[in-house]
Amino acid sequence: MKKENPMQRSRTFASVLIACSVVAAACGGTAQPSAQASGQASAAAAKPTVKVASFNFPESVILGEIYAQALEGNGYKIERKLNLGNREVVFPALEKGDVDVVPEYLATVLGFVDKTAKGSGDPKETSTTLQNAVKSKNLTVLDFANAVDQNSFVVTKATSDKYKLKKTSDIATSAQGQLVLGGPAECPQRPFCKLGLEQTYGIKFKDFKPLDSGGNLTVAALDAGQVDVGLLFSSDAIISVKGYVVLEDDKKLQLSDNVAPLVRNDILAKGDDMKKTLNDVSAKLTTDELIGLNKQVSVDRKEPRDVAKQWLKDKGLVK
Amino acid sequence: MTPGEPLIRWDWVQSHLPDIAQRIGEHLLLAGIAVGVGFALSFVASLFIARRPWLYPPVSWVFGVLYTIPSLALFSLLIPFTGLSILTAEIGLVSYTLLILIRNIVGGLRGVPAEVRDAALGMGYTQRQLLFRVELPLALAVIVAGIRVAAVTTIGLTTVTALIGQGGLGFFILEGILFFFSTPLIVGAVLSVVLAILVDGALVAVERRATPWARLGRS
Amino acid sequence: MGAAGPVVTFLAEVYAWLMDPAHWAGSDGIPTRVGEHVQLSALALAVAAAIALPVGIALGHSGRGGFVAINVANIGRALPSLAILAFALPVAFALNLGLGFWPTFIALVPLGIPPILTNAFVALRNVDRDVIEAGRGMGLADSQLLRQLELPLALPVVIAGVRNAAVAIVATATLGAVVASGGLGRYIVDGLALRETDRLFVGALLVALLAIVTELAFGIFERVAVSPGVRLTRAAGARAR
Repeated sequence: MKKENPMQRSRTFASVLIACSVVAAACGGTAQPSAQASGQASAAAAKPTVKVASFNFPESVILGEIYAQALEGNGYKIERKLNLGNREVVFPALEKGDVDVVPEYLATVLGFVDKTAKGSGDPKETSTTLQNAVKSKNLTVLDFANAVDQNSFVVTKATSDKYKLKKTSDIATSAQGQLVLGGPAECPQRPFCKLGLEQTYGIKFKDFKPLDSGGNLTVAALDAGQVDVGLLFSSDAIISVKGYVVLEDDKKLQLSDNVAPLVRNDILAKGDDMKKTLNDVSAKLTTDELIGLNKQVSVDRKEPRDVAKQWLKDKGLVK
Repeated sequence: MTPGEPLIRWDWVQSHLPDIAQRIGEHLLLAGIAVGVGFALSFVASLFIARRPWLYPPVSWVFGVLYTIPSLALFSLLIPFTGLSILTAEIGLVSYTLLILIRNIVGGLRGVPAEVRDAALGMGYTQRQLLFRVELPLALAVIVAGIRVAAVTTIGLTTVTALIGQGGLGFFILEGILFFFSTPLIVGAVLSVVLAILVDGALVAVERRATPWARLGRS
Repeated sequence: MGAAGPVVTFLAEVYAWLMDPAHWAGSDGIPTRVGEHVQLSALALAVAAAIALPVGIALGHSGRGGFVAINVANIGRALPSLAILAFALPVAFALNLGLGFWPTFIALVPLGIPPILTNAFVALRNVDRDVIEAGRGMGLADSQLLRQLELPLALPVVIAGVRNAAVAIVATATLGAVVASGGLGRYIVDGLALRETDRLFVGALLVALLAIVTELAFGIFERVAVSPGVRLTRAAGARAR
């Protein structure tokens, strides 16, 4: 919620590094670095540099790293723009061509692109609707993964007991106008966030506190009682660690938020196996896998880069 | 910060040494450019003020207003026009150095005794020679004192630029806040202070070298 | 001169944002945010002054602890306020105070102490020794000396210290938005997150105004509080130099 481009310096650093390595490879002429060992020696020189971006929360950074390293394992050069910002920052960047690949969530990005769109609980349907919606922007939705991460509205056990909250609709019946909602700054405007809660569930909140994207500020605010309902992400390990009660989405506000790469058509055209590489990744990514990855980073404090590397190795997606 | 976690995880520090080095470099660059440009601007301004002393109060007032505006606010006023860029960060950082620098440059120059000035002019010095060979060397102590304050303050303020997408050690501090992770926080804060102390010390050493007569005078 | 176009458009957006009545109501409205900011800053300033003034005055009066008193301002200058804010978070959590107001408050107080303390010390130290001698000669007790002579003479510099602390506190209260506090920093932090440059700009403008008003307010306070006799003495002294 504060920085647009904290990795800008790293990007510059990375591009310098990439430029140097390209020059070195051209002048050196001897064995190609191991990253390009996929056997497509003649085509390797023609592979473009792909700008992979992610949103500014850890799970997105992990996914971005996974995409980036999977592509690197197939001879692509990657410019990382991870932790770029929220969708308000990243999507325009994707449209403009400042970035090429973004790990997206089907239903949420559909709602972002087309406010009137009918997403659904069926990921296939949502994916098709999304593809139609982004066609005019020269973007392609690749295969979606089984992994789902959607907005989860949680309360502490104490709050759940106090107001008898088990389902989201319970808020309107038992605690209308009494609860404080905490979430990212953009929550009041988002259809799967406060806006949706007001429209679909008819919930009125006492107040809204802008915190972060399902991160530690939200967790701390929940624990301190400064917000009653917090937005966390369903694949976040902290929910079970803290014993929060996830309010059941009984009116199905959250639709199929499967993870899928959103890619620019022009970069897809330049790399024949880019689609396959990313689709292979999605095929192996389940919700449980995602939760596991998140736990390693958020709880065990491992680096997204290392966690991604290990996961790709374990799944046989890179050597 | 996260319960059960040690205050500093040295394994994190070890694996992030190249990042830390990079951020230190960014930090020094940002701060260095700001103090350099700020000094250049203040110096030029002081030359005008020497010719037209009536300029001092209004210039001082403008610089004072800039100094009063909180740093994040100043950056934010620029963002709609200059974006989330190094330029925005530098314009903001430079603005904070101006007041202290102009005060010390003008004050230092004005502190040169009139007799010394008269003597030099009597000896046939031109205005230019007067400035560079007499006034500046004598004012150096006060001017460097101003540069020291400006440098230390700027190094502290540079951490705020992390909030507008720039790098430097503020990046680690911010990471510490958002992830409740004390290691980068402590690394960022401690290094920022250490950097300020080192730069301050270096400036003192430079000043000592440049004004050998001052030491003689003191004993 | 085509650059003027987007600037004018932007300023029109800012004006429209300010004129929108929705932005003047509710928990995110301008009056609320200004109120939060002032409340937080005023409280922090009061506590900082309550701590720093007695210490600075006592040290200045007795002449002891000079090294610490003077250098505490230098140390304060070197510490990045963002770091102080970050350190205040775990302290607030340990005290079960949560996010937002309290961690920011806990960070603001140590920020306000150095300017007040150092200025109070220096102000008392710089009171003309002759005046103090004269006072002693007249038979004034130590506490009378302090209250009737030293403090009135030291007042301008003491107030200057409080003024500096106030401006620094108002400034850092802005940063508190990073740890979920309210105040005008909210517009800046949220504006950055939402990419709403009009909100960002309004927040920045209001903070800048608040800081300038704070500085001016203390200037006026000094004018009112410092006795005319003291002011004349200082002016004469300045001219003589």
